[in-house]
Amino acid sequence: MNPGLLTQATPLAHAGVEISHLSKSFGDNLVLDDISMTVKPGSVTALIGPSGSGKSTLLRCVNLLETPDEGTITVGSQTIVAGAKVKDRQLLELRRQVGMVFQSFNLFPHYTVLRNVAFPQEKILGRSREEAEERALTLLERVGLKDKAEQHPGRCSGGQQQRIAIVRALALNPRAMLFDEPTSALDPEVGIEVLAVMRELADAGMTMIVVTHEMQFARDVGDHLVVMADGHIIEEGNPAEIMAHPREERTRRFLSAVLER
Amino acid sequence: MGDAITAVLLGLPMTLLVTALAFTIGAIGGIPIMLGLRSQWKPLRLTIRFIVDLIRGIPPIVWLFLIYFGVQIGALRFDSLSAAVVGLGIIASAYLAEIYRGGFATLPRGQAEASAALGLGVRTTFGRILAPQALRTALPSITTYGLSLLKDSSIASTIGVADMVFAANMFARQNPATAGIVPFFIAAAVYLIVSIPIAVFARRLDTRLRKAQ
Repeated sequence: MNPGLLTQATPLAHAGVEISHLSKSFGDNLVLDDISMTVKPGSVTALIGPSGSGKSTLLRCVNLLETPDEGTITVGSQTIVAGAKVKDRQLLELRRQVGMVFQSFNLFPHYTVLRNVAFPQEKILGRSREEAEERALTLLERVGLKDKAEQHPGRCSGGQQQRIAIVRALALNPRAMLFDEPTSALDPEVGIEVLAVMRELADAGMTMIVVTHEMQFARDVGDHLVVMADGHIIEEGNPAEIMAHPREERTRRFLSAVLER
Repeated sequence: MGDAITAVLLGLPMTLLVTALAFTIGAIGGIPIMLGLRSQWKPLRLTIRFIVDLIRGIPPIVWLFLIYFGVQIGALRFDSLSAAVVGLGIIASAYLAEIYRGGFATLPRGQAEASAALGLGVRTTFGRILAPQALRTALPSITTYGLSLLKDSSIASTIGVADMVFAANMFARQNPATAGIVPFFIAAAVYLIVSIPIAVFARRLDTRLRKAQ
């Protein structure tokens, strides 16, 4: 498939993401401690680290599924300052710009695959039902799932569901995409189908932040690698370089643990 | 026997009316109560929880007596039908709120999160994503409650609502020599005849909805 196919209907430029001095606690537990990070427009950042390192929480702060305690988040031209009251319109605007894909897919089981992809377009972009479903079918076809359109998600395999979830987010023309361990719930051979779609998206110039344990994907597709532990960024830089020559002992231990799995 | 059947059946419309009205009140009234039970704001949640437990902790017949004999607004008092409908409606609201809440509680957290992440508003998320799934899950319990309400509506006869049990009782009293217990057997049969098809229909619907997903 040509790079660009998945996003060619996207008129807006892809947005950068800037995270600055972000902190977040759950009760007494400091999960993110003064995190700053820059994701350039059109680049892919892979976020790795042991579980409990705060990488998922960081990702979820970007679209405010978690509310940060301190710091700022900028997506494109929109800046959210922690502590300041976020208006509903501002929140929806942010989420409209940022697509998210979850580990557990989270498709809507009471809608068909087609409605899963079309319904949010109608509500959010104000598209007509015909227009939304046409766009949905086009995208489903591009990930090889047009024949599943009339099925309910429960009838689809995990890999298919995750590709549908990606398409559901893409149908809204997001300017950046967040992936929260998108292949962790999948068998390895099924995960490959999902990674292929993500790779295409990256080739098309989508800004992506990917929390993952897929080291090969992080190295081949990632422009930037961020290693987190205990709520801190312990190391970041070129993925291949860090994987070959980790500077930090924590990174070394984590990498060898993941690679030996 | 024929007379007894006719007499008891004359009470059927009233039984159905009381049940339908009380269920409707409960189905609608249960929604705000359920929202209160799910509230993030603890004082509200605890207050509603207390009220729900209070409503459910007092037997229906006592509620009906309290409302029928105890409530007076100015010179106005409830007639027996209104008292029964209001009393059973309040109780139904509490039970259905709890059933609705249970339906929502089974939904994975990811459903609301995915909807929010897409940029869907709170109302759309509730009305189009969460509520339909919760209702589907709760459907068997809702039906079960509706059928038990049909039977419980018979306590309305104790405050003078002319339902089936009231009619059976009247017939038995007016024909002490011949009627015996027959009118009550007839009433029992009619309750069964009404409720079994509803139960079967609800089970089929539930199976169909499950298969569809």
